[in-house]
Amino acid sequence: MTAAIRTEHLTKIYGNRLIAVNDMNLTVPEGAIFGLLGPNGAGKTTTLRLLLGLQRPTAGRAEVFGRPSGPNAVAVRRLIGYLPTHPNLPGNLRPVEYLDLLGKLCRLPREERKPRIASLLRAVGLLGLTDQRIENLSTGETTRLGIAASLVADPPLLIWDEPTAGLDPAARRFTLDLIREMGKSRTVVVATHILGDIDHICDHVGVVHEGQMIFCGPVRDMKRRLRRDDFSLELEGNGDDLRRLADQAGQVEGIAVRIQDERTLTVEVCDGRPRASALAELLQLVEPNHLTLQAVHSGQNETENAYLQLLQEDEAHGFQRFDFQTQRKVVAAEGNPPA
Amino acid sequence: MPLRAILQHDLWGLYQSRMVRVWLAATALLAALLMMTNWVKVPSAPLIAIVLFPYLVFPWFLVVMMLGVNPTSGSRADAMADGFLCRPVTRYECLLGTWLARLVLVWGVYLVVAVPAAAIIVFAKRPVPDDGVTFYGVIAAMGVVGLVLALQVSLGFLMGTLLRRSLLAVAVLLLAWYPLNLVLHAFSLEEFSPISLSQSLPTLLRQPWQEDPAAETAKVGDLEAMQKTIEWISSFGAPSKPPAKPGFFEQAEYEDFSLLSVLMGYGIPTLLSIALATVCFNVRDF
Repeated sequence: MTAAIRTEHLTKIYGNRLIAVNDMNLTVPEGAIFGLLGPNGAGKTTTLRLLLGLQRPTAGRAEVFGRPSGPNAVAVRRLIGYLPTHPNLPGNLRPVEYLDLLGKLCRLPREERKPRIASLLRAVGLLGLTDQRIENLSTGETTRLGIAASLVADPPLLIWDEPTAGLDPAARRFTLDLIREMGKSRTVVVATHILGDIDHICDHVGVVHEGQMIFCGPVRDMKRRLRRDDFSLELEGNGDDLRRLADQAGQVEGIAVRIQDERTLTVEVCDGRPRASALAELLQLVEPNHLTLQAVHSGQNETENAYLQLLQEDEAHGFQRFDFQTQRKVVAAEGNPPA
Repeated sequence: MPLRAILQHDLWGLYQSRMVRVWLAATALLAALLMMTNWVKVPSAPLIAIVLFPYLVFPWFLVVMMLGVNPTSGSRADAMADGFLCRPVTRYECLLGTWLARLVLVWGVYLVVAVPAAAIIVFAKRPVPDDGVTFYGVIAAMGVVGLVLALQVSLGFLMGTLLRRSLLAVAVLLLAWYPLNLVLHAFSLEEFSPISLSQSLPTLLRQPWQEDPAAETAKVGDLEAMQKTIEWISSFGAPSKPPAKPGFFEQAEYEDFSLLSVLMGYGIPTLLSIALATVCFNVRDF
């Protein structure tokens, strides 16, 4: 498998005070739609800026299609179309002028530049706004222009930092559809903390927590790590009946029940109890309580749960991870194979 | 192509900015005011020096430094990172493009006002005696002032890159520039102090392209003899008067003015500032 992006022990420490990226090893396969997931301040943007050469790593290295990135690595940046979180675009220019400027920066000849600008503006739905100055565009329109800007040089790798931030639902849907479309012919890296976006579009995911990559692999592998010991029942009936059902279900062995809202009961099956028999026992209580079963959901918000579980595990096992790494480094230094 | 694109883009953005337009209008207005108030009493060389004084010392120094500080500090630096540095452009191209844009703009504003002003002063018929301003002297004086402006832009660039905060950079420049300028002026070092340079401009303005040393010595000797005669005649039978205090632009101590020393005095720091700014810009995180 060819890697579009590879980092090895990538570390960024600001002024010996703040560790933004901590010994990060990341591999993004070529052709993947890769979601870089993490809470605010986890180090996602810093990682992307290190890849672009906007920042210098304190230690480690980053490669894009096998080429090392750096402040003057023009060849690397020619392969990347970057969309920053809140694109700081020159407000005095019009969309066509801005894209033309970027085309010149990318050394595109005029005969190639001009038709591409027109088709890009059409693709992102800004053809009707070409006479407006950028400072007069809305957040969604600015993001769409930023997306067009990242595509000017037709790069094989797109790095979009929180592309759906601040967008209304229609603009968000448009952006996600576009990412899916782009992913058919390119490698796309999307940094976000919005789990719904990852669920919709990504096939690979990297979870960053406190500057460290705590999971990197296919989305299905992340979901597989999730303990599937809960489901929810969607019921129709009045609230008193639902509460009575919850009381009765609470007495069933190995089941913990919680009323989520007026219509939904969340059921957690304890370790050791088969889920099927627990569910069967619970369903027998529905009709006697004058309730009608509408639906049974299992594994909803899988990505969100898997993500939160990863973060919890990381926090709980932080010292173990530290010990392991220390041990590995010591062993490597001594030249002995790890046990 | 990227360098030219950045230069054009920055220049266009600067041209459209309100600050630059107000500055252009203010320079024209100030030059006109200075010329009108001194039109009938000041000879050509000191009058041109008076018109050029605001570029060298105050107030345009402030505007020029601010223009230099701006692109590499504060939110403009972030815009530069998002706009240019994440594209296939080297940091050298980016820095050189933005520096050149500012330099071209500053020189443009300066020349648009100073060249017509100097032409009017030299060619207009005024009720003051001709003091021998030469074409070479005007060109050299304009060039020297342009060089000082280049130094100001470059120092602003350096401080903006080093300190990253526009206001802090401007404050440091102000606090360093004027005291240093005054100290150097105390030693009449026109090679390093723009205050001294502004005083020496009349001398430069009267310099011919090539001087004949013999003729010059004779001329100075004749002048001295004539001056002594006049003084003797005027003091004959009259109470002795204290010698008149020379005006700011009529200092005699710059007669040994050397254009080469001045060019090196301002040129080398300009190059050093740009080199240091490039190094700082290259190791900096965005």
